[in-house]
Amino acid sequence: MAKAAESSGDPGTTTPRPLMRDLKAVGKKFMHVLYPRKSNTLLRDWDLWGPLILCVTLALMLQRSSVDSEKDGGPQFAEVFVIVWFGAVTITLNSKLLGGNISFFQSLCVLGYCILPLTVAMLVCRLVLLAEPGPVNFMVRLFVVIVMFAWSIVASTAFLADSQPPNRKALAIYPVFLFYFVISWMILTFTPQ
Amino acid sequence: MEERTGGGCWGARGRGGEGRRRDARAPAWAGPHPKCAGGLGLQPWGRGPAGRAGGGGDAQRPPPAFGVPQALVDDTEDVSLDFGNEDELAFRKAKIRHPLATFFHLFFRVSAIVTYVCCDWFSRSFVGCFVTVLLLLSFDFWSVKNVTGRLMVGLRWWNQIDEDGKSHWIFEARKASPNHIAATEAEARIFWLGLIICPLIWIVFLFSTLFSLKLKWLALVIAGISLQAANLYGYILCKMGGESDLSKVTASFLSQTVFQTAGPGDFQKPGLEGLEIHKH
Repeated sequence: MAKAAESSGDPGTTTPRPLMRDLKAVGKKFMHVLYPRKSNTLLRDWDLWGPLILCVTLALMLQRSSVDSEKDGGPQFAEVFVIVWFGAVTITLNSKLLGGNISFFQSLCVLGYCILPLTVAMLVCRLVLLAEPGPVNFMVRLFVVIVMFAWSIVASTAFLADSQPPNRKALAIYPVFLFYFVISWMILTFTPQ
Repeated sequence: MEERTGGGCWGARGRGGEGRRRDARAPAWAGPHPKCAGGLGLQPWGRGPAGRAGGGGDAQRPPPAFGVPQALVDDTEDVSLDFGNEDELAFRKAKIRHPLATFFHLFFRVSAIVTYVCCDWFSRSFVGCFVTVLLLLSFDFWSVKNVTGRLMVGLRWWNQIDEDGKSHWIFEARKASPNHIAATEAEARIFWLGLIICPLIWIVFLFSTLFSLKLKWLALVIAGISLQAANLYGYILCKMGGESDLSKVTASFLSQTVFQTAGPGDFQKPGLEGLEIHKH
């Protein structure tokens, strides 16, 4: 056990610089999401910093600029937060109830990190929206969002599918599909006005 | 945040010590870590006996049941630097050994609360306030979990997933060995009070948000409560050590921090001798 402890998630108090260690872990996981391979890294050393950063970034980008200073984008910001975290918790509960052998925080970690492609899609969409509106604009955004949505699904199933018994895989993956679909929908229907 | 006392004697787990960069020594945990054999920790922090005489609550003497001769803990006597219980006593009564850790322990929590309360005065932007408070709460969570708990009271906790994919929560408390000084009273008091009071304040915010129907703040308040309560829960489990009886732990905690006495358990923590690993 001691050996496993030293090779895998060390407690962060035996390394001299726990901050750098944590930052590197977060960066490594981002890389794993961008190039999803079957690997245990996301699952073994979970952390929720990445999902927090992504959630805040996504919520900030989904802000509508409004003329009225009272409605200063408050509810939409909190909405994104609630949708992401509540959705992730629900999916985790669902997969645990279906008999998956993944722990609560591991599942949250995977779902959160796999929002990265959609955050990139949001960034691209915001840039594209600076150009003139029109059907071409919309088609470009649609294409980008669909590609990133597929990427998110592939990345998360690569990590999550193994934890489910084989006859339940579709049941467990379907809510993930729905979750990323809702986020993609929010991204696609975003207009700055 | 430099650690003055020796690299923590976390116990014979085969794990490297606190591993500062200049300490290239390989772990050797069968016996006490060389740096733990530390008169090096015993700088009286610039105060020593004078601090004790000036400090209000430090007039308490431990009962002689410890076997410490009364004369040796006389306030007017200089603290000698040989190792022994009277030294440990004197050092425990030193005020604060890790000022930076203590400062940051309180800084992030208190500024998160202050920002939440006062954000309307500074800016009308909900988003700015939300993100600021969330950032402060996250910094606080990280620093309390990874740094200040370990430095101030010698406790740590983390989660570990072994090769089978099973998740284990591990809670450890630093051995109170003769070669390693336990936490000072002031630091322990500040640590625990800060850890307990802030989640209570956030719970008050929760009710005020609910009842005033400012529901857009609810997400933030819930995030605040969960982050702070997580640390509180983790450290309480560390502190409980081998004792599963919550009332005993609460009683000894209260007697230590509120009444400023060193209870007999401090020097011989039976529940914390040796390494405590708890699988949850």
